[in-house]
Amino acid sequence: MPGTPLEKIRNIGITAHIDAGKTTTTERILYYTGMSHRIGEVHDGNTTTDYMEQERERGITITSAAVTCEWHDHRINIIDTPGHIDFNIEVNRSLRVLDGAVFIIEGVAGVQPQSETNWRLADRYNVPRIIFINKLDRTGADFFRAFATLKEKLDIVALPLQLPIGIEDKFVGVVDLVEMKAIVWEGGELGAKYHDEPIPADLAEQAKEYRQLLLDTALSVDDAAMEEYFDKGDVEVATLKRCIKAGTISGAFRPVLCGTAFKNKGVQPLLDAVIDYLPSPVDVPGIAVAAEEGEDEHVERRRIKADPSAPFAGLAFKIINDKYGTLTFVRIYSGTLKSGDMVMNTTKGHRERIGRMFQMHADKRAEIKEVYAGDIAAFVGLKDTTTGDTLASQQDQVVLERMAFPVPVIDISVEPRTKEAVEKMSLALQKLAAEDPSLRLRTDPETSQTILSGMGELHLEIIIDRLKREYGVEANIGAPQVAYRETITRPHTETYTHKKQTGGSGQYAEVKITFEPLGRNEGVVFDNKVVGGAVPKEYIPAVEKGIAQQAETGVLAGFPTVDFKYSLIDGKYHDVDSSALAFEIAAKSCFRDGMKKASPIILEPVMDVEITTPSDHVGDVVGDLNRRRGMIQNQESSGSTVIVRAHVPLKEMFGYISDLRSMTKGRASFTMQFHHYDPVPRNIADEIMAKSA
Amino acid sequence: MHAPRLHWKRGRQEEGPGVHRTLEWIGRNDAGEAIARVVRILGPVWSGWRTYRAVALDDEAKVVELRPSRPDGADWLACVGGQVVGRAPVPLQAVRAAEAALGGD
Repeated sequence: MPGTPLEKIRNIGITAHIDAGKTTTTERILYYTGMSHRIGEVHDGNTTTDYMEQERERGITITSAAVTCEWHDHRINIIDTPGHIDFNIEVNRSLRVLDGAVFIIEGVAGVQPQSETNWRLADRYNVPRIIFINKLDRTGADFFRAFATLKEKLDIVALPLQLPIGIEDKFVGVVDLVEMKAIVWEGGELGAKYHDEPIPADLAEQAKEYRQLLLDTALSVDDAAMEEYFDKGDVEVATLKRCIKAGTISGAFRPVLCGTAFKNKGVQPLLDAVIDYLPSPVDVPGIAVAAEEGEDEHVERRRIKADPSAPFAGLAFKIINDKYGTLTFVRIYSGTLKSGDMVMNTTKGHRERIGRMFQMHADKRAEIKEVYAGDIAAFVGLKDTTTGDTLASQQDQVVLERMAFPVPVIDISVEPRTKEAVEKMSLALQKLAAEDPSLRLRTDPETSQTILSGMGELHLEIIIDRLKREYGVEANIGAPQVAYRETITRPHTETYTHKKQTGGSGQYAEVKITFEPLGRNEGVVFDNKVVGGAVPKEYIPAVEKGIAQQAETGVLAGFPTVDFKYSLIDGKYHDVDSSALAFEIAAKSCFRDGMKKASPIILEPVMDVEITTPSDHVGDVVGDLNRRRGMIQNQESSGSTVIVRAHVPLKEMFGYISDLRSMTKGRASFTMQFHHYDPVPRNIADEIMAKSA
Repeated sequence: MHAPRLHWKRGRQEEGPGVHRTLEWIGRNDAGEAIARVVRILGPVWSGWRTYRAVALDDEAKVVELRPSRPDGADWLACVGGQVVGRAPVPLQAVRAAEAALGGD
C-alpha cells in the first residue's frame, strides 16, 4: 500500500503570468520544506525547476518541472509551469492532471494577460485553486488594487484569507483572518523564522470587517456551519477551514493569500493553505472516461475515483527525451503498478510493458518500484505512448478524457546547413514534436521544405536552439511561403497541334480542349468527349498526364492550378508519327496557351481567425483586421472580454501575434485555421507575379 | 463579529439526485415565532410553457416570480412580514439585512 495515505497527498501546479514569481515561490517552498539547502534565484540562473540551459540563460521557465516535498506530514507534488504564452502547452497539460493550483498574481500589476489565459484553462479542467498576491515588497505594490483586478478581469468571487501588514519596503507580515492573528517574519535565516502576534491596532477594524466577509462567504457553502454561527455568533477554526476547503473545491469562491516570495515572507502560510484548502486525490470527483464515438459529450460519464486497490488507470501527460532515453510522465488515477507489469495503452490499443519507474525532482530522478493512485511518476521504456494516451489495466480498459492541445499559429521553414545533417535533423525534429504536442512538423509538397508550426516566435526559436544544442544540428530558418493557387474565371476552347519532323519518324498530335471554371474546392475534372476515334483511346491517358503535370505550375506565377474542368472534344493523329509522348506534349502546350485566355487569377488561403480581447481594445483589434483585408464575421461579448471572428488572408497574418500583443498590451490572444481560398486582389496579384517572374 | 439576534434555523430544502441545498432560513424570536425569512433566489426555471428568469418561494412555499428579473449580484432575499427588505449574494448578509430592517444594529 502507498507510504503516504491518499488524503495526505496534494498534486498542485504553480502558474501565473511571466515574471510573477512562480519559480521564485517554488524555490522557497523547496527550501522551507527541507528539499533544498539553499535558495536558488531566477536571476542567478541556479533554480531547481529551471534546469534547462535555455531557461537558466533567459531567466524564464520553458518546460514544466515536477518536484516533491513534505509539509506537515503531507506530500506535495508540485509542477512549476512556464508563464510565457508560447509555452502554454505546458500549463495546459499540467492543469489537466493536477488536483489543485496556486495562481500567483503580481502585487503591482494585478491580474495580467497570461493569468487570464491560464485561469480559463483551469476553468476548463475544473481545477480548484488558491491565489497568492506576490511581490508586495515592490514599489507600487497595492494588495487591494491587485485584489480588485481579480473580480474585474477574472469575474470571480475572490475571498481574502489574509491582509498585508505594511506594504512595499515596510511589508513585514500578514493578518491571518481565519485565526485572527498576525504572522510576522523576523528577517534573517531566509524567512524561515516567523512568529504569531496580536493583530496590530491600526489594522484591527479592517481585519474585523474582512473576517466578517470571510464568514459570510465561506459559511454559505455549509448549512451546519451556518447553524453553528447562528448559535454561537462565530465558528471554530476547524469549521471555517472545512468551509473554505469546500468552497475552494466547488469553485464557489477563490481564497486569496499574500506575501513576497523573493523577500521570503508569506510562503509558509501558503503551504499551510495548500494542505488545508486544496483537495487531495480523494477529495475530487475523479477523472471522467472519454465519450465514446457518437456519444453526447455533455452526458455525465463514469468517473475513475482514486483507489489504490482498483484496476490501474493513468494518463500520459508529458514526454521528454534525454540522453538516457524517453521518459513518459504519467498521472496515476487509480490502482497500483509495479515495474515489469503489463498495461494496455487503451488509446492506441496495444500493450506496453512498464520498465523502470522514477519519482522526478526537476531533472533528477529517484527510482521507485511501485506507484499508486494519486502519484505522478515517470516511466522509462514505453514503446509507443504519446502525450494524452491512457494506460489502463487489462481487466478494465478505460480510455480517459483526452487532452486538448492548442493549434500552432506560426510556421517557419527549416533546413539543415549540411546535406549530411538531413536525416539527423528529421529524427531530431520528430523527437521534439513527440515531446511537444503544440509543435507540428510537415513537409511542404510544393517546395519540399520542412515546415515547423508552433505557438510563437519564441517557441520556434527555442526549438531551433534545442536542435543545435541537444542534437548538434545547425539549421537555416526562413520565412514560410503562402500556399497560393491559380484558377480560371471563364471558359475557353483551345486547339494545339504538336508537329515535329527532324528526320526519321516525327512527332504529331493535335488536341482541342475546352477549359471551364469550377466552384471552390471542386478540384480538377476531366471529361473525354472525343467521338469517332479522333484521338485513339491509348493516347487519352497521355493527355490527362500532360494536363495534370502542367497544372502543377500555373500560367500566372507558377502556383498549382485548381478548380477547373477540361474536356477533350477533338483531335487528330498520324498513324506513324503519333505517340503518347506527342499527345502529352500537345496537352501541356494546349494548357499553357488556353489557360492564359481563360482569364486566370491567383487564389490565396483565407484563415478563420478568432481573437479574444479585453473590450477596451476591441476598436484597435477590429481596425487592424480591416487594414489586413479582414472581413469581420461576428463579435460576441463575454463579461469584459470580446471574441472577434474574422476571415483574414494568411499573407496578412504573419507576425500578427507580435502586433496583437503590442496593440493590446499582451492581453489578447488568437487562434486561426484555414477556411477557404479567395481571389487575390489585382495589386497583390501583380506583386506576386512580379516576384515569380 | 455580528451576533444574530433572532434564532435562525434551516427551512425548506431542495433534495434531488446530486442536489441538497437550503432554500430558506427562518428567523424566530425568543417566543419561537417566525419573524423573518431569508430566501434563495432560483432560476431560470422552465415551467413547461415558459421560462421564469428568477423565482423564490413565499412563506407558504408558493413559487413567486421576481420582476423584472434576478437582482444583479444577489442570490438571496431578506423578507420581513412578507415584504422584501434586502438582497444579498450570501445568506448571512441577507440575515443581517433582515435583522437591520427589524430595527437592530
